[in-house]
Amino acid sequence: MNNLCADIGYRSINKHGEQLCGDHVEVIEGENNDIIMVLADGLGSGVKANILSTLTAKIISTMMSKGLTVEDCVATVAATLPVCSVREVAYSTFTIICIRNNQQAEIIQYDNPPVILLRDGHNVEIPFTEMMIDGKKITRSRIDLRENDTFIAMSDGCIYAGLGRDMNFGWERKDIISYMEVFFEVGFTAKTLNTILLDECMKLYGGQPGDDTTACTIRIRAREPMNMLLGPPANRDDDNRMMALFFSKEGKHIVCGGTTSTLAARYLGKPLVPLLEFPDPDIPPIAKLEGVDLVTEGVVTINKVLVYARDYLAGNESYVEWSYKQDGASRIARLLFEEATDINFYVGKAVNPAHQNPDLPINFNIKMRLVSELSECLTKMGKRIKVSYF
Amino acid sequence: MELVICIGSSCHLKGSRQVVERLRQLIEEANLMDKVALSGTFCMGNCQKGISVTLDGKLFSLSPENVDGFFEDEVLARG
Repeated sequence: MNNLCADIGYRSINKHGEQLCGDHVEVIEGENNDIIMVLADGLGSGVKANILSTLTAKIISTMMSKGLTVEDCVATVAATLPVCSVREVAYSTFTIICIRNNQQAEIIQYDNPPVILLRDGHNVEIPFTEMMIDGKKITRSRIDLRENDTFIAMSDGCIYAGLGRDMNFGWERKDIISYMEVFFEVGFTAKTLNTILLDECMKLYGGQPGDDTTACTIRIRAREPMNMLLGPPANRDDDNRMMALFFSKEGKHIVCGGTTSTLAARYLGKPLVPLLEFPDPDIPPIAKLEGVDLVTEGVVTINKVLVYARDYLAGNESYVEWSYKQDGASRIARLLFEEATDINFYVGKAVNPAHQNPDLPINFNIKMRLVSELSECLTKMGKRIKVSYF
Repeated sequence: MELVICIGSSCHLKGSRQVVERLRQLIEEANLMDKVALSGTFCMGNCQKGISVTLDGKLFSLSPENVDGFFEDEVLARG
């Protein structure tokens, strides 16, 4: 077991005019901490392609996660896929990336553009062996992982972007490599790198993709624990116990809430200094407290973080706001979405009588709902979440 | 003079940012920058009557509407 983990981001863009996508990405956890990603591209587009790619991705990921061989997976897929009445074939290309115990990647590819590996910011061609299964030429690679290795799997919609429009031969794989190498050093998350790639594809297609376009980015990174304290404990006698547990944990510490930060300041014996600055007029100011990485107000700030989290999981459009702004919500968003891999929430269940006012949108139930919805979003981002109530 | 404004959740929602900004403006206009120390605090435990502001320890309840009156009656009077 090492200190690495896989940060995974993927998205599909539908062919112009199609309601369904003919590409499908499936990511599941298998035995022994294995992570299996399958990107399948079904023949044609629309509903048929959607069924073919979904079946392929689901069958392969489920079987691989149970330790079956790739030969078995391919045979099952070939025997299961419905045959297209027009073309009389059943067909879906696929890319499998299996991260074994965060130590080794096994990559199995059939007819999709070859997976790109950026290592130390530069393209590395992955060595592979070929095998024939059911008359299909399938390549297989095994590569030991290093921190910051970034894998990019694509459907052919990516390399055809701009074909016959802005570019004679589309956006070739080598062009994608040199484009993505530029962004490597910045330390973007997998989701952001993936968004950057697909946005460029969309641009080259002039907003009207000629094919379903999908990319999945996997970035190997070190685990980063993060701790977040929200709300005073229901029983005042638990103050010290809660603070002691919170501050003893490894990683960065975020304290949210006025009363909560006052308790933290008392526990640490340091002055709490709120800053009277409003980088975002809707978000209350942050405060400085020695020994804590970030102190913010509670419910109003977390509510905004939740808005950002939902968007991150959807189109990731508000990235342009929270990625640089200095208000409390943007700072929390950067720490939780980008930096952290393991997040411990310490949630106090004290009811603030002053907040139980129907005119104010900040009562106790809302606080509890915010915590559960935020941890749900963070789980979907692939973070490991632990919530303790006091 | 110590002028402390609550920027906790409840007071924030009632408009403490506008109060902070208006007070800054008024202090500058009256040229009292070196006499009045403006600072923020989290919850003063007086949320129902917010926006909570203390002037040299004495508690006042303000709103964005009555900031000017408070400044004239209390701050300028002491200046």
